[in-house]
Amino acid sequence: MEIADLITPAAVIPNLRATSKKQALQEMAKRAAELTGLQERGVFDVLLERERLGTTGVGNGIAIPHGKLASLDRLYGLFARLERPIGFESIDEQPVDLIFLLLAPESAGADHLKALARVSRLLRDKGVCEKLRGSDSADALYALLTESPASRAA
Amino acid sequence: MVESMHFAVLVLAGLVTVSIFSSLLSFRIGAPLLLVFLAVGMAAGGEGLGVKFFDVHTAYLIGSTALAVVLFDSGFHTSIRVFRLAALPAVSLATIGVVVTAGVVALPAHWLLHMDWAPSLLMGAILASTDAAAVFFLLRVGNITIRERVRSLLEVESGCNDPMAIFLTMAVAGFLASGRGGPGLGVAFTFDLVRQFGIALIAGLAGGAVIVQAVNRLGIERSLLPVLSLALALTLFSSVSLIGGSGFLAVYVAGLVAGNAKLAAPDTMRRFQDAVSWLAQIAMFLSLGLLAKPSEFVAILPAALAVAGVLILIARPLAVWLALLPYRVSSNETALVAWVGLRGAVSILLSIVPMLSNLEGGRVYFDVAFVAVLVSLAVQGWTIRPVARWLGQIVPRRIGPVERVELEIPGARHELVAWRIVPDSLVARGHRLPRWAEPSLVIREDRSLLAHAAGVLRPGDLVWLFARPDRIGHLDRLFASSAPAAEADRQFFGDFPIDPKAPMEVMASAYGLPVPEDARLLTVAEFLRSALNGPPGVGDRVPLGEVELIVRALDYDDTIAEVGLAAEPTRIDAPRLPLFPSGKDMKARLARWVGTGRR
Repeated sequence: MEIADLITPAAVIPNLRATSKKQALQEMAKRAAELTGLQERGVFDVLLERERLGTTGVGNGIAIPHGKLASLDRLYGLFARLERPIGFESIDEQPVDLIFLLLAPESAGADHLKALARVSRLLRDKGVCEKLRGSDSADALYALLTESPASRAA
Repeated sequence: MVESMHFAVLVLAGLVTVSIFSSLLSFRIGAPLLLVFLAVGMAAGGEGLGVKFFDVHTAYLIGSTALAVVLFDSGFHTSIRVFRLAALPAVSLATIGVVVTAGVVALPAHWLLHMDWAPSLLMGAILASTDAAAVFFLLRVGNITIRERVRSLLEVESGCNDPMAIFLTMAVAGFLASGRGGPGLGVAFTFDLVRQFGIALIAGLAGGAVIVQAVNRLGIERSLLPVLSLALALTLFSSVSLIGGSGFLAVYVAGLVAGNAKLAAPDTMRRFQDAVSWLAQIAMFLSLGLLAKPSEFVAILPAALAVAGVLILIARPLAVWLALLPYRVSSNETALVAWVGLRGAVSILLSIVPMLSNLEGGRVYFDVAFVAVLVSLAVQGWTIRPVARWLGQIVPRRIGPVERVELEIPGARHELVAWRIVPDSLVARGHRLPRWAEPSLVIREDRSLLAHAAGVLRPGDLVWLFARPDRIGHLDRLFASSAPAAEADRQFFGDFPIDPKAPMEVMASAYGLPVPEDARLLTVAEFLRSALNGPPGVGDRVPLGEVELIVRALDYDDTIAEVGLAAEPTRIDAPRLPLFPSGKDMKARLARWVGTGRR
């Protein structure tokens, strides 16, 4: 599973403006609705429902909200770089400025988990996060996200 | 006369000072500190600088007294919770483990040192016990956090296997010295064992209670309290030994009782204990080092190295595996317990016994034991960190370093705690403190300010506040410098935090997990607790379909406070060595083998 299988350049928001966790999730749900043709409300509710299990703010300014939707045809990823960091009830209490949202079809099961693991691994990389924070164009962010691990190591 | 006394004090104080200074070096190069003490003693001894204070008797007297102090201290610092967690497997290690180790080590002693069987077994018994001081030191000061199950097991084992090894050594040495034999011997051995340990257990419990009462009730001057408790402990040690019990076991038990009771002046007691225990260890290792004659080592070196090799690579792993077989201990945990079988002062101390009993060739025991201890301290002491990490038994740090001081307040539920504000901490970057953590005093540039006068906290400030012990961890996170989140941490703690109180049903539907029907109504914490069977420890994990649920943190009262979800199976608890199969593994293997045989 590669990041490129999850995300398109159109799903990258280089300068998201939000003042709260709720607003950030709302904005991203809106963009997700545009991409997938689903109801914005439905996406937002699924994300909020998942947050009740525990925050997806995994620390170090990263959040990976996710959820499953019955009417989805495949996995969808969205990435947002926030203009200003926001409180996200993160596990380390640090404000969040990088959000990777992942939506999966109800039937995805193992693929959903594999994709989550892949995104989580990518955003644990300090170097990658620094570069993401330093870029402000959708294309550059998309390139950074989908760079294969091999080319990053080189 | 007076001058020679001054000279003696000069040499002794000088040796202790040099040992303590050399601890700086030890931290720098990572050498096991106790090895350094031993080396200082050796360098100063008869064949080094020529210090010759100790005959064998004095060395034994110093060593066993110091060991009593160290054992009292290890009991004192072992919480009853840890003891309960590990008591059964640890006792199995201390009994079966010690006997098996002694038996296996006897083999190379018999063939390579050309000893008879009984003396070989004596050699084995001498080397059969792990060193409480060495193990404690590594676990406490090593600056690493070993996962709780293994840590408590090692702690309790190292405290209670010394008495067993001492008993075994004395018994075999006594048999050799008296030359008695015959069929009744085994029965006599067992009877003696039960009597010695029985007396020690009862006397230790009683002695511990007496210490607690004496410290709390008599209204003695505060600074004398720890001295009193130590004096009582040594009184207990010697009187139990005099009436034919195991004095070492008695002081350990007494320490356990006293350390877990509510004591007056707990801080004073603990600090004094720490200091005295250090001094005892230095005294023990130094005086034993002074006894060594390195030139004697040459003749027995190949055999001694072989004995050490068998001890580390065969005897200890085999003994640990057998002793832990009845208990649910994972292959990686067994491997680490096997590797952290450090030998130390106890073995050298016991190797003096043959000389004390005037056994033939008594010096050989000492030389072989000395070399084996040197090898064990160097090889195992130096490698514990990488080995523990490789076996997935180290809890990664989740926060950066914290500068914190705690003061217990007698009779209060709160503690007085001080944190130094470090520049990249959350507080320094403007994160507010919770309402229940109101600073009482701020020390800034040598001035002490009340909180309202201090205003916004700045880096360098020392903040004093009252907090409940269970909330200190939460505050630590706010005051700590930031820690890098590494891939190793993701492996250990999982990808996402999960609310321990969330229902398993919701977990199951959010991730499509195969939650068993009867577990759907449980909370995540309840599910983990039931699946782990046994008290949870940080890092414990339960696989569930494609994911793992992980205990991330425990509360003060041992309830599961944080849970992690790993979105893919981690490799933390995957067995690293194809050794140490559990009983279940072996049964499965046997069944498979029988099955294929039939077909």
